[in-house]
Amino acid sequence: MKNIRTVDQINEKISKGTINVVTAEEMTEIVKSNGIEVAAKDVDIVTTGTFGAMCSSGLFLNFGHADPPIKMDHVNLNGVEAYHGNAAVDVYLGVTKMHPERNFDYGGGHVIEDLVAGKEIELDATAYGTDCYPRKSVKTTFTLQDVNQAILCNPRNAYQRYNAATNGRDDVIYTYMGKLLPNYSNVSYSGAGELNPLTNDPDYETIGVGTRIFLGGGIGYVTGHGTQHDPTNKFGTIMVQGDLKQMDPKFLRGATYTNYGTSLYVGLGIPIPILNEDLAKKTSISDEEIKTNLLDYGIPRRGRPSLKETDYAELKSGKLKLKEREIPAQPLSSLKIAREVASTLKKWIDDGKFLLASPTQRLSVTEVCRPMKITKEAVFVQNIMIPTVTCNIDEDTETVARRIIEKNVNHVVVVDDGGILKGIVTSFDITKAVAKKEEKLSNVVTRQVVTASPEEPIDSCVRKLKKHDISALPVVDSEKKILGIVTSEQISRLLGE
Amino acid sequence: MKARLRFDKEKTSEPIIASVILRTKAPINILRAQVDEGTGEVLIEVPDDKAESTISAFKQMGVDVHVGRFIELLREKCIDCGHCITVCPVDAISAQSDLTVEIDQNKCVDCGACVDACPTRAIKLSE
Repeated sequence: MKNIRTVDQINEKISKGTINVVTAEEMTEIVKSNGIEVAAKDVDIVTTGTFGAMCSSGLFLNFGHADPPIKMDHVNLNGVEAYHGNAAVDVYLGVTKMHPERNFDYGGGHVIEDLVAGKEIELDATAYGTDCYPRKSVKTTFTLQDVNQAILCNPRNAYQRYNAATNGRDDVIYTYMGKLLPNYSNVSYSGAGELNPLTNDPDYETIGVGTRIFLGGGIGYVTGHGTQHDPTNKFGTIMVQGDLKQMDPKFLRGATYTNYGTSLYVGLGIPIPILNEDLAKKTSISDEEIKTNLLDYGIPRRGRPSLKETDYAELKSGKLKLKEREIPAQPLSSLKIAREVASTLKKWIDDGKFLLASPTQRLSVTEVCRPMKITKEAVFVQNIMIPTVTCNIDEDTETVARRIIEKNVNHVVVVDDGGILKGIVTSFDITKAVAKKEEKLSNVVTRQVVTASPEEPIDSCVRKLKKHDISALPVVDSEKKILGIVTSEQISRLLGE
Repeated sequence: MKARLRFDKEKTSEPIIASVILRTKAPINILRAQVDEGTGEVLIEVPDDKAESTISAFKQMGVDVHVGRFIELLREKCIDCGHCITVCPVDAISAQSDLTVEIDQNKCVDCGACVDACPTRAIKLSE
């Protein structure tokens, strides 16, 4: 592809105030009405933006030395533990580290938000004391202006695209994709679609090491491809850093995911120079063209099956069609603030305050993202489930009592003629029924049964047993046909092995 | 108008709401009711023209009556992501054309489902 302009020429136009810069949403419209050729000729730069929770984010802080000096060993900032495995007065505060008492309500992300907002932060550090750093503790307060450096450093930001999430279980689950209602009743997703930075430069032609970006309301840089960068599957990520002292609390916000953890919302925008017609075409991508998969987060496994392929146009419409139903869909990231990021960056360029930087090196296009290497396999339901003793709803309690004694079990599963799960009774239910001379099984059966699937990990079964205060989970297939049972006795036996 | 009624132990077994309806002729709509050991709490809706007489009738029968806004969206904390919209059982939350999230106080039943869904803790259920 023949280039029609260079980054140097673009910067010259920025300095002269003759630049034509539009947001990625505007570019989509311009190409739609004027065509690629005209758009490429007219538009110099396309700005992108996103505002999502970026859990890999963190902050390097250098406090300077105290007198007498200290080599900090344990450091808490507003009660949130910072990582102290580096030099004497340097720390790294991760956004997902939670306050030990305030839990999900306050974590590293919130400390960063407070710092940017100019609030005073409490520093509480202890040390073992050395010949050169004799001090053993320090307690003080500081603001952002008091530290030498505060560098936001995010090893994995700006996912090229991300899955949408729903929940097929029969109870509410709390995840990093938010609160997911039972039986596929809501959908949450992340990312700004056609406004997303990497989506507009999917082959990383202009975004690379050294690219100058909008980060948290200040200026930042791309330092390389991010962790879990997966370019061959179009799941690219970038690693970025920026000076926190320039940033704005509007574009950096602490996040709370109930029963999951804390994080940090980060506003990130990247300018894409329209060097050729090919880039004009790529930046004209529309929400309809950006596909993603709807996954069932109720399945507690790494590989979650896709329920359907969707696109950002459907997601942004607020309703998603799934099996004849319309389910409410909304993002967990903020499209409204993502638009503000893209338009703020556009204004910076228009005002001549922001120049583009050519990358010194391209991001990897061949890197592969692998799963964790496991030396000892985890245990799943299918590895330990046993055949279950069953009965029919029409049998009387005495017959079931005899079966419990004969088979030496504590749980009997009620099934219909096709082997479909209808309920469960425990030895306690039956003992109570016999003592009260209650003959009808239908009066003592539990019909709302918490179940497990064969592919489910045992850790997930343990959570279910504890949550519902029960002692066994019938194992069923997707049609609720009974396959076996997992009991707490079997799980305790596993621990003994 | 919406009001929250608090019943103490003795009152939970009496047909108070029925008595108030008979006395005031107000069509009381029960939006939510919760009864624990010893206490009961009911969220009701009454037409504005019957509000005064209904409240005084409940007070005369010894019921604690609270009126006012219960659910509150803290504007300075909200990032307008819209996640709360998907968990609301009565469609009381919506996004405006500029994507600003709003709660319709008239539709809200004060259930609190959105409170723990909010990633910036921008929704408060005030007592």
